[in-house]
Amino acid sequence: MDIGAVLENAILQFIGLNACYYAIAAIGLNVQFGYTGLLNFGQAGFMAAGAYGVGMTVSIMSISVWWGIGLGLLYSVALGLLMGAPTLRLRADYLAIVTIASAEIVRLVVRSVKFKGQFGGTDGLRNFAQAFQQVGIDLGLQPAQDYGWWIFTFSGRNLWNLIVGWSLVAIFGVIVWRLMKSPWGRVLKAIREDEDAVRSLGKSVFSYKMQALVFGGVIGAFAGMMLALGNASVQPDNFSRDLTFFVLTGLVLGGVAKVTGSIVGPMLFWGFYSFLDGLLRELVDKPVRIGDFTLLQSTDIGVVVFMIMGILLVLLMVYRPQGLFGNRKEMAFEGR
Amino acid sequence: MTQPVVGTSNHPTCGRRIVIVAFGLFLGLFGALGALLTPPGMASAEGESIQVQVKDQRRTASGRADNQPVAGVSVTVVDASGVEIASVVTDENGVALVAVPAKADYVVKIDVDTLPDGLALSADTPAEQTVTQDSFVTSKRIVNFFTGESQSEELSDAERISQRFADGIRLGLIIAMCSVGLSLIFGTTGLTNFAHGEMVTFGAMIAYFLNDRGIHILLAAPIAIAAGGLFGYSLDRFGFARFRARGIGLISQMVITLGMSIALKNLFLWRFGGRDKPYLDYTNQVGSKIGPITITQRDLIVTILAAVVLVSVALTLQYTRLGKATRAVSDNIDLASSTGIDSAKVIRLIWIVGGALAAMGGVFRGLDEQVSWDMGTSLLFLMFAGITLGGLGSAYGALVGGFVVGLLVETSTLVGVPTELKAAPALVILILILLVRPQGILGRAQRVG
Repeated sequence: MDIGAVLENAILQFIGLNACYYAIAAIGLNVQFGYTGLLNFGQAGFMAAGAYGVGMTVSIMSISVWWGIGLGLLYSVALGLLMGAPTLRLRADYLAIVTIASAEIVRLVVRSVKFKGQFGGTDGLRNFAQAFQQVGIDLGLQPAQDYGWWIFTFSGRNLWNLIVGWSLVAIFGVIVWRLMKSPWGRVLKAIREDEDAVRSLGKSVFSYKMQALVFGGVIGAFAGMMLALGNASVQPDNFSRDLTFFVLTGLVLGGVAKVTGSIVGPMLFWGFYSFLDGLLRELVDKPVRIGDFTLLQSTDIGVVVFMIMGILLVLLMVYRPQGLFGNRKEMAFEGR
Repeated sequence: MTQPVVGTSNHPTCGRRIVIVAFGLFLGLFGALGALLTPPGMASAEGESIQVQVKDQRRTASGRADNQPVAGVSVTVVDASGVEIASVVTDENGVALVAVPAKADYVVKIDVDTLPDGLALSADTPAEQTVTQDSFVTSKRIVNFFTGESQSEELSDAERISQRFADGIRLGLIIAMCSVGLSLIFGTTGLTNFAHGEMVTFGAMIAYFLNDRGIHILLAAPIAIAAGGLFGYSLDRFGFARFRARGIGLISQMVITLGMSIALKNLFLWRFGGRDKPYLDYTNQVGSKIGPITITQRDLIVTILAAVVLVSVALTLQYTRLGKATRAVSDNIDLASSTGIDSAKVIRLIWIVGGALAAMGGVFRGLDEQVSWDMGTSLLFLMFAGITLGGLGSAYGALVGGFVVGLLVETSTLVGVPTELKAAPALVILILILLVRPQGILGRAQRVG
């Protein structure tokens, strides 16, 4: 058993592209869920909005990929307004239901045969990221050449993706951290704790909630753009319900209402996921049988690891709802 | 539970205006993009093989494709200049792999004469498909051929409409049955249970595994329903009752149900596999004509049984002591407790009955279509739309709302909604209801705080 290789992989996933766009999405989700108490269970929909905004530019609309940033923002703002307008006056559960449903509908629409011409159907979209990769090449990172030292060796292409991705994490991390210390951020937290008290101070709770929902969604759209540009492709089934749930797991793991939690949590999620996956693959080199009954074979491992991540989310919420960095009091709010 | 169930509304028109603007923005964008449509074009460097898949898409009565593989079909691949690369026959998985020299343009031909008797290519699958160089995404390019029954007789409009209504009624009854537990659990404890879809799948799975071991479905179904009740019981006894006692917040509990949903769904996928499978009994029934609709005996019995069960649930709620207690607790738990109702017991009972009804819905759905690992997950969102429409937390609301949503979803294809998007109208209903009448059809306005 090669535990070294497993650990090496886990460390690489810890700082990898997956952890990176999960972290961006979690920063956005944290604005909604952690700070404002909005149950957005459709972050995958916002990510899809961003990813498809970028993806549609070159192959569908024949315009430069950079327009995609604007397009992704437009989509995510529209999606946020659509989700928020009917629900933000009602108790929290309604937003949860509408967001989870909207995200699913977005996925169904972009993968449908009917709109294949616009969104590429189940094949998704590709061939749009060249201009983005070209910037990396212009800055002197040769795509095929390796950079770095020890286990941290990346091809120029991956390194460019990681540099841009983690820069975005840093930028949004600082923005959210500053904003939450501002009067605006304090109103959001107050809404989470007691909506009526905020209303009695003359603040428009609806408007603040809408701003938080759209702002978090826009950050989620950037996560989707990073995913699209980094992988140089957009696949509709990347944006399933599970994506939202795993971003949420990462956020809860790190701790809600903490910027550090929203960044470190997704990193730990991917590190742990990769470790578990690698470990099981090392252990199960031949099918595990009890008599005639095949308990586990190597093709099942991906599924089993996801199952364990689900159980992890349950245990985390029961025994340590504040996560690693969070404050238990900030997770004690009730949905209203 | 003394908090307002449906929140306050200061400027009711403002939200409506925003949603209309957002809708307009969305539609406008999509329209503009459709006009700008141009095909993608890029070539890649390395290439290996073409994988031809022949699948039977004969549809079940509810319009879902079976996707059974078709073996023994002869397939030929020729290159752009007409030179034959290879001629192969599909294996038992309906798959034939053809190695090709490079990523280039090819034509894949299927020999229609080698299709099994009674099968023909579906209307939108041509017998020759062109593979272009650009369409090799990875080194393996997949080409699908779909077969379906040769649709010789065209249905008249009246037949089509009544057929969709019959299917819609059946789906509506199943959704209503599955939603009772979801709505009542919400009404009594305030918990939105995102794992409720998995309770539906659970029932269908238990019945499938028993059925697979040789137990007839008529025996397997009641066992599965009992198991569903037991599952609901244990979820409350060892899970949510303890969480309530420990003072874990509703939001945290909701996230717990999300985690449970992930864990259970992947457990099902692991043990059951990713493919849809039918029960062993009462498959392949030929539909008989009743008036304008064609329905199999199985589907007819499922419809009648579902209706009977739902009526009995409604009667139980209306007339028995237990039913009255349940409604009282879901109306106002504090008031009910102070009149001497043991609300903890009622909640436990709701979990049991809700679990059993969800399991029954799952078995029915499995009979109606097929059993799959994510069948409940895909129903969950329709259930949410249903109980919101009927009035969140109201017992009768779940019955009425679920039924209406099922009917609307199935009949939406009549007005031009593509089959693959037929869940979308449910979201539109959900949003409209929340804008116009957030308390739902049967919810009471005084719940608005």
